[in-house]
Amino acid sequence: MLKSIIPRIKDWPINLIAKKKDKILQETISESILKLNENWSSLPQLREQLQKTLYLENIRIRSESWEVDPEDDADFWKKIRRQLLEADPSKIDENKSKILHQEMLQEIVSRYSNEIVAHFSPNMFWFARQLLVRIFARLFNSHFGGFKGIFNPQEKLKDKLIVAGPVEKLRQLSLKGTVVLVPTHFSNLDSAIIGFGMDYIGMPAFQYGAGLNLFNSKIFTFFAGQLGAYKLDRRKKNPIYLETLKSYSRTNVIAGAHTIFYPGGTRSRAGNIETDLKLGLLGTVMEAQRIHFEKNPSNLAPKIFIVPLTISYNFVLEASSLIVQQLKRIGKEQYLVQEAPQVAGKGIWKFFWETFSKSSDITLSLSEPMDVFGNMLDDDGNSLDKSDNKINIRNYFLSKGQLKADDQREMIYTQMLGDKIVECFFKNNVVYASHVVTFVAFELLQKKLHYPDLFTLLRTSEEFREINWDDFKASVRRIIDELYTMNNKGILKLSPRITTKELPEIIEMGIQNVCIYHTNLPIMRNKEGNITSEDLKLLYYYHNRLLGYGLHQFI
Amino acid sequence: MAYINSSENAPVAVIGAGSFGTAVANLLAENGKVLFYSRRPDAVEIINKERKNSGQDIHPNITATNDLQEITERCYLLFPSVSSDAFRGVMKSLSDFLRPDHMMIHCTKGFDIKLEEGVTILDKNLKLKTSDIYTMSKVMLEETCVKRVGCMSGPNLAREIANKYPAATVIASKFDEVIREGDAAIRSHRMQVYSNHDIYAVELAGVLKNSMALAAGAVGGLGFGQNAMAFLITRGLGEIIRLAVSMGADRQAFLGLAGIGDLVATCTSPLSRNYTVGARMAKGETLEQIIATSTEVAEGIKTVSISKKIADTNDVKAPIIQNIYKVLFEQLEVQEALKYLMEYRWGQDADFM
Repeated sequence: MLKSIIPRIKDWPINLIAKKKDKILQETISESILKLNENWSSLPQLREQLQKTLYLENIRIRSESWEVDPEDDADFWKKIRRQLLEADPSKIDENKSKILHQEMLQEIVSRYSNEIVAHFSPNMFWFARQLLVRIFARLFNSHFGGFKGIFNPQEKLKDKLIVAGPVEKLRQLSLKGTVVLVPTHFSNLDSAIIGFGMDYIGMPAFQYGAGLNLFNSKIFTFFAGQLGAYKLDRRKKNPIYLETLKSYSRTNVIAGAHTIFYPGGTRSRAGNIETDLKLGLLGTVMEAQRIHFEKNPSNLAPKIFIVPLTISYNFVLEASSLIVQQLKRIGKEQYLVQEAPQVAGKGIWKFFWETFSKSSDITLSLSEPMDVFGNMLDDDGNSLDKSDNKINIRNYFLSKGQLKADDQREMIYTQMLGDKIVECFFKNNVVYASHVVTFVAFELLQKKLHYPDLFTLLRTSEEFREINWDDFKASVRRIIDELYTMNNKGILKLSPRITTKELPEIIEMGIQNVCIYHTNLPIMRNKEGNITSEDLKLLYYYHNRLLGYGLHQFI
Repeated sequence: MAYINSSENAPVAVIGAGSFGTAVANLLAENGKVLFYSRRPDAVEIINKERKNSGQDIHPNITATNDLQEITERCYLLFPSVSSDAFRGVMKSLSDFLRPDHMMIHCTKGFDIKLEEGVTILDKNLKLKTSDIYTMSKVMLEETCVKRVGCMSGPNLAREIANKYPAATVIASKFDEVIREGDAAIRSHRMQVYSNHDIYAVELAGVLKNSMALAAGAVGGLGFGQNAMAFLITRGLGEIIRLAVSMGADRQAFLGLAGIGDLVATCTSPLSRNYTVGARMAKGETLEQIIATSTEVAEGIKTVSISKKIADTNDVKAPIIQNIYKVLFEQLEVQEALKYLMEYRWGQDADFM
């Protein structure tokens, strides 16, 4: 475990910002209102949007209410409805109507801002850290025996949770600007694992968005609610909520909060590395960087550093439910199944138990930090061009020498940043043996069965799922050879567990690691020694991890 | 030197003093000052003193230079117009001088490919992935810090622009700002300008049509009439659309000026370099003879070899490209290729939409 780059938790940016919570809230509210009024400059436009928001919120309350929702939810929107009726411009003076509409907008934005806002408690952080270390000690003790594990859990932890990449550079940059970590997203546990991993390398805590649904759990609220998690409600798709969320994010990044954004939006349903990013929140980072240049002289303007992170698991806690959601989404009527299985607390415990007590691991693979335009950085955070000359990124916001906002330009810059992030996800993907065996097994099955569509394939009965062992072994060999070539070209990264082992061991380890968590095994050897699967959906899910590299050509 | 490009009156740069670069420089000069780059000092001197280049008169607003640094310090809008073979090298040379506030709109209809050492595009076993193929905007983004890039494409035969005939072009860029600047720099009483945000498709349309121009030249060289030409153009359009779609592009741009417009112009004009190569082959000259006696690069030759590889790798039906490839590189007689195409079972018409 590395020493914290800022020794006292009280001095961490997240804590300093938490102390200014009221100011952040005020700025969020005023910025949101300013932006929304820019978009809806006339009274009819504003009225229409308020009506739309009321309509959508009523639907949410009726069809999808959660325990975490405030008790006065329905009453609040009833009040807005009444106020809308009273403010009807056809019945009252137009100026008065305008004022009433602005008041409503203010009330709604303020309510949303107060719901979203993150809290941070240094004491709670310290407590959570101690608790996690003890949990790990318990897990290691169970496996390694004796007292060794209790007294020195971190020795073993470094083999289990690997933070790979430019760690020291990231630590140093966190002192020079605002770090925005953009990870792949596979599981609800990602934030906890990344949080632990970042603490492990001595980074100050990050702010991150957690789905409001998670706050239905009292335990989650108790911990994450005070560890810098702000709340994202994916049910709310109305423009007022979305703008408030963006303003909150932008205000925090401008204030210097190291932040985690999941650019994929939600967890990867199909198990693949995300390629289709949601750029809304990322766009606020671009805007924040421009605002820094507007408010400061070029050499003093704070900088924002983007750090993509690819997480590699051998197995994913919610794999079974995620793939069912994905198949429902793409298959529609072709895929009618019972409700997706939900993951309970017991599942989470089992996940950690199997990961940390058996021969499994998790890698957090950091990419080289970059500026918001995707340019590389030197150790001091200066942006570099392709020949490593220093460049002034303020100039990206210039038009004929004038610095000015241009939404369309910034949208394209954000798309370009998104492309760069995806590129980094793929390059820094650490490939495990479990990824290889599941990829090969599913591809071989597809090749053998020649079914016209995925859904027919997934319904294949058990007797037809068998893959000849020798064919399987030969294909794994070819794929591993190709992966070595790709590893050498920097297209991806092979896990050291693959590079240090022979083929039979790799296959055995791959099958074992993906199966230790699941009841129905995605891949296994049958009595005859051939490869088969008890759950083709899971096999498909894990296979997808290696999509996007063109590896199917080598099967 | 202090930057002077904050002025509205900053000159625009054209990089590359070939016939198209010269035509573009003259076009831009009608709207303001132009700095015109040639890598050859003797050419610069001739342009500045004799006011002639590539058989074209040089507009008084044009000043030639072979100093890339001067160009980047004085101009914020640059029009690179060099062959695809030289393009990456030029970008590398420019890279040290470029700043994030520069904009570049290229005029090059060609591909750049990155192959491993010792491998050539003609290797039989080579499988070309889409990610190995670079359009010029991708080269600009890869080699420089400039993000605001665009391209100029369309039915723009250099000789006709030089003759001041009316024409239309497409400025394609993801950035509205680049389109606006490009439009303001190029638009004139003789040049209509259209915009397109799908720069990838516009670039692919401009490059892939080069193969068809070679085939059209062969049809023309053999003296066949307009029926055959129309047959070639329409089936050729289908073929390049299928190829482009297999490379991840959308179809729409292919139905505009940069697609069908450019294809018609280049397939029906003996002024096109690619057309000329095809016509000479039809008359019995070999590829080596043609290359040895050409003054400028016909991008089509390289395009055919790349397009054929893409068709093979992506399993795309492309009988015209496959046959031009055989004529160019495998000594198939032009007449044999035409015979094959006449006997080929095309199936349904308009199968590319």
